[in-house]
Amino acid sequence: MANKHVNAIVIGAGAGGGIAANELAINGMTVVLFERGEWHDYDEHPNDELISQRTEVLGSPFGPDHIKNPRVVTYKGGSKQIVTPIKGGYSNNAACVGSGTVSYGAMAWRFMEEDFKLKTIYGHVEGSTLEDWPVTYDELEPFYEKAEWEIGVSGDDTQNPFAPPRKKKQPMPPFEYNREAKVFYEASKRLGLHPFPIPMLRNSIPYNGRAGCIRNRTCVGYACPVDAKNGTQNTVIPVAIQTGNCDLRTGSKVVEIMIDDHGKATGVKYFDKDDKPQIQTADLVVVAGAAIETARLLLNSKSKLFPNGAGNNYDWVGRNLQGHAYTGAYGLFDYDILDFAGPGATIAWSDFNHHNPGIVGGGMLANEFNKMPYLFTGIRPPGSANWGKEHKEFQRSMYHRTAQVVGPIQEIPMFESRVTVDPEVKDFWGIPVASLSGERHPLDHEHCKFLSAKAEAILKEAGAYQTWQSVGGKGGPSGGQHQNGTARMGNDKKTSVVNKYGQVHEIDNLFVADGSVMASGGGFNPALTIMAIGYWVGGYIAKNFAGR
Amino acid sequence: MTNQNRREFIKSASLAFGSVLLFPSCLKQKSSFRFFTPEDASCIIAFCEQIIPKDESPGATDAGVIYYIDRQLSGVFHYDQETYRSGIRNLQTWCNLKYGKTFEAIVPEDQIKILKMLQSNELNESEWPGSKPADFFNLVRAHTMQGFYGSPIHGGNKDYMSFEMLRIDFPLVIGQNRYRT
Repeated sequence: MANKHVNAIVIGAGAGGGIAANELAINGMTVVLFERGEWHDYDEHPNDELISQRTEVLGSPFGPDHIKNPRVVTYKGGSKQIVTPIKGGYSNNAACVGSGTVSYGAMAWRFMEEDFKLKTIYGHVEGSTLEDWPVTYDELEPFYEKAEWEIGVSGDDTQNPFAPPRKKKQPMPPFEYNREAKVFYEASKRLGLHPFPIPMLRNSIPYNGRAGCIRNRTCVGYACPVDAKNGTQNTVIPVAIQTGNCDLRTGSKVVEIMIDDHGKATGVKYFDKDDKPQIQTADLVVVAGAAIETARLLLNSKSKLFPNGAGNNYDWVGRNLQGHAYTGAYGLFDYDILDFAGPGATIAWSDFNHHNPGIVGGGMLANEFNKMPYLFTGIRPPGSANWGKEHKEFQRSMYHRTAQVVGPIQEIPMFESRVTVDPEVKDFWGIPVASLSGERHPLDHEHCKFLSAKAEAILKEAGAYQTWQSVGGKGGPSGGQHQNGTARMGNDKKTSVVNKYGQVHEIDNLFVADGSVMASGGGFNPALTIMAIGYWVGGYIAKNFAGR
Repeated sequence: MTNQNRREFIKSASLAFGSVLLFPSCLKQKSSFRFFTPEDASCIIAFCEQIIPKDESPGATDAGVIYYIDRQLSGVFHYDQETYRSGIRNLQTWCNLKYGKTFEAIVPEDQIKILKMLQSNELNESEWPGSKPADFFNLVRAHTMQGFYGSPIHGGNKDYMSFEMLRIDFPLVIGQNRYRT
């Protein structure tokens, strides 16, 4: 039986797609929300570090299936490798209802006003496609606010002098500092820095009908046992379903957007739960599969007017793949400085986002999330043994005494850092897979050195008896859980993929509503910004297409 | 024999003779491993014990790391089977040549020396044919860490031994003041 025609299709039930689907559904549009994964909860992998989003050695708890979904990575020098979610380099970002918002660390950053106009502030950067966003912070501000109140954020931006202007405070009070953060707070104040509690998409008090946080040690990388972590799976998606307008189809793999000879999207081809090929038609299509899968889907959607993939007549789909090089420092203390109250990260500094001489962008710093024991086996001062008696002794004596200050650097966009589809490798369903290639801009590593030195200074002032830096930003390709940039928004169809409303140039009824549209990735975790984009794009569609 | 009687007989027979009487195949010493032969297992057990040696806290052997590796090699890590097979073969051949005995029979000080040679790729193609010794070493090293510090449900870290060593509590059962066992 043919599927009933609907107003809209949304592909991907993550941070952007879940929100966009709800914006359409509550405005009376009929929606099919496609998700290739399933619903997940805490009890499937309780306290299991080896099957967590932090350490996927035995499997990815939130998908995708590691056998059915390979990718290809081409490293510097041309060596090509087939990778799976449980092997390095895959850039896995979960495949389930809620996607990364089920298991994330849940930092709730608003990008700063400067993040939207990097080219205006810093000028042209040699070898980079650095550009302003076509949308300003002021335009997105109401949508950040909506994300904070509807999804749920704890925080107090008044303690952060660098925070962008806001009209309404965050809905829940901030989290308390944990043991190491109290030490870092005093130390960084002495250094003239401006520490403040990290805004979190997590309930510091009961909110929205769900419990407050219980400080579970295994928080980041896991689902929440008491559902106090806020994602689209426990907020907007259930609301969308309750309207009766939204049909969530899990286990459904969309493989092609159908574009007719007039350049209109008419629907999608997909494999259903039982892997049977199906067609769903709609008035419009919204893609929100995260930067890598969104690019792959657009590239695999070839038509008469778009022979190289939807929206790709100027070869910009898949370009500017970015993520975040993490960089920072470790410090050893002669007492138990960690208390392992979950998730661990509680204090941040925004002193190094912008306005630092010689640095394009920069990045925030924060104390690190709890590391479970296996992850900690890889943390040692330079030159230390990585096995044997000495390694074990360090593990035993320093597990509670090794603190880290770390942050994501603003990556400099690169045209050659990209997603393509591989001509040979296919997934379980016979569809060409995503291929990642390209390198980071050399400035990334320089910026990482800058930020790591700042992190080390905080640890030293806090009394660490030994410190060392871990400096990121080399090699490539970029990507990771913070993947973004592959369907850039811009005013010129020749140098971008979508317009400021996420509408694909020359295909009026095809939209992108995830991190792919970001012109640059900021020096912050991107989740709240992707959510704001979901509201922004969804709101635009509802306003212009609902009731037609 | 009625049904009831047969059940009674089996019950008493098992009590008297264990399973040997009823299932003669149990007489043979069967390997308790899925992937490893008993000989291979002895080699890897000795290897893992040097990666995480017993001191005042339990070591890799105590924590059952071998069962973690064995189980994963028959499952998720099936693609690593050949690395183990050829690695063990090469290691034992080399040890027999240099020491006249198998790796597990060599004294710990020398085992450590040998593992350091593997890690730094000090053996050449004729001594270690077909692959790099460091690839084998690094794989076993990583698997040992996973088996020792990961969750017991995957076969290693018996009774959360490593969690006890690290002074972290076992996972609390949410909402209840007791631990999940």
